[in-house]
Amino acid sequence: MRRKILLFVFVLIFLESCSTKKVVAPTLTIDTNTSQISDIETDEFSDEYEDEKKEAPLDPLRNYNEVMTSFNDSFFIYVLDPVSRFYANIFHHAIRTSLANVIHNLQFPMRFSNNLLQAKFKNTTEETERFLLNTTLGIGGLFDPASYYLNIQAHNEDFGQTLGFYGVGAGFHVVLPLLGPSNVRDFLGITMDGYISPLINIRGLENYKIPHNILESTGIYGLQIINKNSLNLGAYETLKKDAMDLYPFLRDFYEQKRLSDIQE
Amino acid sequence: MLQKLLLLSIIFTVFAYGVEEQNIKPVLDKKITKVLKILKNPSLTMKQKEKKSIAIMDPIFSYPTMAKISLGKKWKTLSKKQKRTFTKVFEHKMKYAYIDKLKLYHDQKVITKQPKKIKKNRITLTTKIIGNNETYKIVNSFFKKKKTNQWYIYDVKLAGVSIIQTYRKQFAAFLKTKSFKALLSSLKK
Repeated sequence: MRRKILLFVFVLIFLESCSTKKVVAPTLTIDTNTSQISDIETDEFSDEYEDEKKEAPLDPLRNYNEVMTSFNDSFFIYVLDPVSRFYANIFHHAIRTSLANVIHNLQFPMRFSNNLLQAKFKNTTEETERFLLNTTLGIGGLFDPASYYLNIQAHNEDFGQTLGFYGVGAGFHVVLPLLGPSNVRDFLGITMDGYISPLINIRGLENYKIPHNILESTGIYGLQIINKNSLNLGAYETLKKDAMDLYPFLRDFYEQKRLSDIQE
Repeated sequence: MLQKLLLLSIIFTVFAYGVEEQNIKPVLDKKITKVLKILKNPSLTMKQKEKKSIAIMDPIFSYPTMAKISLGKKWKTLSKKQKRTFTKVFEHKMKYAYIDKLKLYHDQKVITKQPKKIKKNRITLTTKIIGNNETYKIVNSFFKKKKTNQWYIYDVKLAGVSIIQTYRKQFAAFLKTKSFKALLSSLKK
């Protein structure tokens, strides 16, 4: 009997300590880890991950890319981010969201043609529905009733993804000034998309486009970037926290993300 | 008999981490909703928010497994003590990395999809965060622990990028030129 009582007391103390443990869990979970370390399954995950000893991808522009990455990083920290925060203080969230909606709606030709080129017919139809609904009911794209009421989501596709879809490899990595990480394939993609986008008019020849020349195109693009960043404040800083060495981290992150975008 | 029952209850309490297969979706759904609610709560300080959110997510993460995968082949060469220290440091890093990412999307609509069974002992669960003109995908990867039949998260993919793969690559690059000790102190920063 005494033994049972003792055991009971022991259990009570044990449970008590468990329940207090939960409150402060983040700091003292190491006890459970000690026991877990020994029973982690051996090596069964390695086939799901790239061999970490694999040679790095061909990176002939590495030196230039590293310099450009730190330039872009400084530009972000000292120019784009403060400007975006200032801009966010002036304009209400709803206004900035609407501006992002209008810009997104105007880029419909790009999404439409790239979905079509990849024979994603359902997406093409949905993009068309979105454009018609948001332009009319959404008052020129200011609002997004298509996704809000009808749950028709956007299908972001660009020409870089289209090329990837048909098996075109990424080529080597290039960090573009101000635009950030890219590669040969995606740089070609951006150029092609520029021809279709109604917001980019580099040569000043296409009269149907909104900007008339390269200066106006740059202005619109700048506003677009500031607006977008003002809606995603802190995202880049959060991303950077996972980096040990900024350039290879951003390069691998970009390439992995593009690969996953293409596969979708 | 009573002793056996008590013993069983002890064992049950100790191993009550992880989640059963059929509960993966409801449990994760509930946890994410809870965390997003905490992150939105204006009466809490950022520190409190982080602490509370981490306490909610902790039981379904297997940090030792994450730590092991992130080191790749290097793991095997470590002593037990080194493994333990590394796991502890990496665990801290992972916790905050995960919550940091949820923080970014706390005011958006979240949809959890049906879990997908990839293999006998692998399940992925996709959570979609509906943002402005863009949908962000978070894929939680679960594995089944043989001993307990419980499922744990061993990787999280954000926008198609695996957080563990990212670290695995970086650690390998780091260890090419620097020591394990240097890696530890760099992670502690």
